[in-house]
Amino acid sequence: MILTAHKISEEVLSQKITIEPYSSSQLNPNSYNYRLGDSLIELLDEPIDPHNAPEVVYHKIPEEGFLLHPQRLYLAHTLEKLGSRDYVMSLIGRSSMGRLGLWLQVNADLGHAGTEHHWTLELCVVQPLWIYPRMIVGQVSFWEMARASKEADQSKRMFYQGKYAEDIRAEPSHIHVEFAKYESEQR
Amino acid sequence: MILTGPEIDAQVKTKRIIIEPYDPSNLNPNSYNFALGDKLLVYQNKVLDPHQDNPTEERIIPEEGLKLKPSRLYLAYIEERIGSAHYVPIIKGRSSIGRLGLFITITADLVDQGAVGQWTLMMHCVQPIIIYPHMRIGQMTFWKPTGEPDLYHGKYQHAEGPRPSESFQDL
Repeated sequence: MILTAHKISEEVLSQKITIEPYSSSQLNPNSYNYRLGDSLIELLDEPIDPHNAPEVVYHKIPEEGFLLHPQRLYLAHTLEKLGSRDYVMSLIGRSSMGRLGLWLQVNADLGHAGTEHHWTLELCVVQPLWIYPRMIVGQVSFWEMARASKEADQSKRMFYQGKYAEDIRAEPSHIHVEFAKYESEQR
Repeated sequence: MILTGPEIDAQVKTKRIIIEPYDPSNLNPNSYNFALGDKLLVYQNKVLDPHQDNPTEERIIPEEGLKLKPSRLYLAYIEERIGSAHYVPIIKGRSSIGRLGLFITITADLVDQGAVGQWTLMMHCVQPIIIYPHMRIGQMTFWKPTGEPDLYHGKYQHAEGPRPSESFQDL
């Protein structure tokens, strides 16, 4: 079940949900509007190979805006630190940005319980589009979980401790680490 | 409500969720990481028509990888057979793959309750990318429905390998 705005603000106060900085003016009936941070990453490899660490270039999004081009992927991040150990997050765009043909993530809208980070956004556009720092670009919703009976014992609960758990800015993919691990296990 | 990793594990053990083959090391706090099968379908025609049976060509994804181009749609599949008569599976990308600009599904992330099979992935890349067979390409979440179940009996039931669109049957 999805949380209402009232419940989101209650859980921010009780610290079961982290949204930093937080402003109640960014609440929607069932989500919270997040802002765009001011840094951006572009991937230079052609083709991209998940076996290797991607070669990237960093950009700062200037106040006067940054122009995104189709057929390019840009990694950005949420200005806010977002997370919860008690709810699952779903991060999506806003219909106002969707109507301009902007994707905010590439199929990866799920925020596992235990995540608490500046969320990396995967931006791509249908037509060229300007973006600006700190603009409201998307929304995050919070969902209740159905737990196993053994999880009544706190120590049996499972929290996200993955590769991106403590991100404070946009972070390129670390999938090559998985390939390296798999290959060393095969040897 | 979304199931936790430990609850997915408990439901696989009671067979209320089917994941075959199953390896608990693929469990996440709220999902199960699935693998990419080793075959793809590519439509032969550039212009697609939902009124027609659009012919496809099969490609094997070799161990050394296959390069995808942004201008094409590729139909791949999930190596595991997945489904449930009790929960609703929803396909999610993995952020490690999304950060490389690879879409694995196009607007249809929902698996009907009661449907079991090797689900087709609709792959599209923003920039050219190499894919490898058996790589952990996405994750499956499971959601608790509310109301009396009305189980799936559709055209993609028991799918094996990638399946092209059969939308012409609906027209």
